[in-house]
Amino acid sequence: MLNMKLKYKRQGAYTEERKSRTEKKSIIEAPLSEKMIYPMNMHIGKPAEPIVEVGDDVKMGQLIAEKQGFVSANIYSSVSGTVESIEEKPSMHGPHLAIVIKNDFKDTPAPALTSTQEDLTSQDKLSLIERAGIVGMGGATFPTHVKLSPPKGKAIDTLIINGAECETYSTADHRLMIESAEEIVAGIKELLTLFPIKQTYIAIESNVHDSVCALKQAIGDDERIQIKELETIYPQGAEKRLIKTLVNREVPSGGLPLDVHTIVANVSTVRAAHLAIQKGLPLMDRVTTVTGEPIKDPQNFRVRIGTPIQVLIDACGGFVEKTGKMLHGGPMMGKPITSGQVPITKGTSVISFLPKEEVKVDERTPCIKCAECLNVCPVNLQPILISNAYEQGDIDEAERLGAMDCIDCGNCSYICPANIPLLDNIRQAKTEIKARKEKSS
Amino acid sequence: MMSLQDMTLKMSASPHLKSRRKTDWIMKQVVIALFLPLLAAIYFFGIRSLFMVIVGVASSVLFEYGFQKLRDQPIRINDYSAVITGMLIGLSVPVTAPYWTIIIGSFFAIVIIKQLPGGIGRNMFNPAVGARVMLKVFFSPWITNWVAPGADAVSTATPLESIGHFSKTVGEEVPGLWDLFLGVNLGGNIGETSKLMILLAFVYLVVRGVINMKIPLYYVGTVAVISSIYGGYSVDYMMTHVLSGTLIFAAVFMATDYTSGALTPTGQTVFAIGAGLLTIVIRIVFNFPGGVGFAILIMNALSPVIDKYLAPRIYGHKKRPKVSLAK
Ligand code: SF4
Ligand code: SF4
Repeated sequence: MLNMKLKYKRQGAYTEERKSRTEKKSIIEAPLSEKMIYPMNMHIGKPAEPIVEVGDDVKMGQLIAEKQGFVSANIYSSVSGTVESIEEKPSMHGPHLAIVIKNDFKDTPAPALTSTQEDLTSQDKLSLIERAGIVGMGGATFPTHVKLSPPKGKAIDTLIINGAECETYSTADHRLMIESAEEIVAGIKELLTLFPIKQTYIAIESNVHDSVCALKQAIGDDERIQIKELETIYPQGAEKRLIKTLVNREVPSGGLPLDVHTIVANVSTVRAAHLAIQKGLPLMDRVTTVTGEPIKDPQNFRVRIGTPIQVLIDACGGFVEKTGKMLHGGPMMGKPITSGQVPITKGTSVISFLPKEEVKVDERTPCIKCAECLNVCPVNLQPILISNAYEQGDIDEAERLGAMDCIDCGNCSYICPANIPLLDNIRQAKTEIKARKEKSS
Repeated sequence: MMSLQDMTLKMSASPHLKSRRKTDWIMKQVVIALFLPLLAAIYFFGIRSLFMVIVGVASSVLFEYGFQKLRDQPIRINDYSAVITGMLIGLSVPVTAPYWTIIIGSFFAIVIIKQLPGGIGRNMFNPAVGARVMLKVFFSPWITNWVAPGADAVSTATPLESIGHFSKTVGEEVPGLWDLFLGVNLGGNIGETSKLMILLAFVYLVVRGVINMKIPLYYVGTVAVISSIYGGYSVDYMMTHVLSGTLIFAAVFMATDYTSGALTPTGQTVFAIGAGLLTIVIRIVFNFPGGVGFAILIMNALSPVIDKYLAPRIYGHKKRPKVSLAK
């Protein structure tokens, strides 16, 4: 089937799917780790600041690092124990300041974020979401409260719940939709109380029909919430594409979904919002898929944030073959990491391991102008022209061609039959454009 | 047990997977598709057709190899693109064409049109189309006697001569539409006579995702619409235009060439419709049966300008980006 795809402008690629190893596996509790690591940069925006000191006793659910400014997020301890150190530790973005906590395995709880669930105003609920440290759990880790704060005069009328998990190996959201459908729907209903929303869609790729059934059941006869089954195509779950596909609006260049009166939230994020509002629980755990051919027994884990990846590898029975790459994320957008000490953070939906033979680099050959990179670009760029402009040192041209609008989906490099490192070049161009902007301002 | 420490982990940036469709895979699909018209050629014109294609392929590949060797460039004959050019040239002449005309065509296509501007991906014109137009212009006596298949090969008039030059009706001597479609009793370049086989090749290439089907459809469609209007909505007249000459062969195998065609989606539409308009104008106004070749070459030359002005509108922007002419 792989090659049986018609060639037309399709704004996506039919990437290979490798979900079968974990899609039927129920979520299991991950083992607890003795050492928990909380990098301060586990969200997009300003890193959080530690508010505990080495030697402090902490409880499960206690605030350990405070958000800095609006676009930032709180971090809570997901275990009880003692602060062992506050130092630089490997993270998915390279070494970064982290709080290390030694787990006492007692799970002594801290007081909940709120003592009452009654008479909460919209403002109270929004503030709970903000205080709970909730960020986009699909991988983008953009602080959720920012997405829920429309500027004055911008009315929100559309809510899109993103269950379109388009990365090759991920099944975490898929399993969550089956096993926690009730909580997700409860979370959606909470969001519906916050804004005058007129249309609510749950977007799901058509290859995961069992989660549709579970959600349908949870929704019951609530007519406000509609499920939309979408074509399985990468990157179907990209926020900008999703908005275009479902409500035919385009987020303006450099803008947010709010600018087109829309909120997009991932299913895990919605569930976290539900737990924060209904139970006063901060964000402490998530579902993460650990998979790939080299892994003996791949799993969907419910895992405490801060657990080192090594613990999960062991829980999967280790490796059956050599791996060539360990990825925080999936093969299309994931970040390569090398240390098993990198922890699971708020945005870790999948850790993928690629077999050794799949990481070889193919020789670059001349561009044949097949136009495939244009055909698969979800934001209608001309990747080869941006790449050429960059290689010729013409950064202005790269900017005119829309380099800054690239959403890093990786489709162009994936599809190119000539193995041209299109996205690498576009990323470089973006870095230079940004550097130049900063210099001139 | 294997542990992470025993493995060398690569750190290159995303995406970490690559599609398995490489340039040579794509080109091989076209080669496979070209076997369909080749089979028809062998069936209708005899085994010499096969030798003609072999001469075309061998000379094209050799010229490419020789050129790259002389210039100390990486040898790229493994990408199969020269094989395609060779097959196209072999299939683009009548069965009476001497072998040396094919070799000259290959030389012109590979050396002058493809390699001098920089090789695969850099040529402005389609090499095979350039070669056929060049042969037609300079070597006409050897390659334009139209031979119908059969024991005593007799020269026949091309059907286009009777429908060209402002003629609005189909003459008596023109073969029936079914004959034109199947290639029965038809003279012409050996690869082009059986439209049936070319259509099968088209379906194959579309299903494989190698060619964009809108290019042949818009191209042939434009010819059909204009000729039908011009001919007073005569289906016979229109179908004779569509089924005669190189049109369908060129629409499937030559207008769809990546490098010499347009890059942008709208540009490809304009390219195809433009080629259709030019083809019909050259046929009717100038009474020049080889209109298809010129039409494609002209559109080849225009495609960078077309792409420049029809750059796709980027998501979230109001206007098309202003870009400079592709280098
Ligand atoms: S860069 Fe690659 S995908 Fe894009 S047109 Fe060239 S060969 Fe095709
Ligand atoms: S240019 Fe950017 S957005 Fe477009 S396909 Fe490439 S990586 Fe994706």
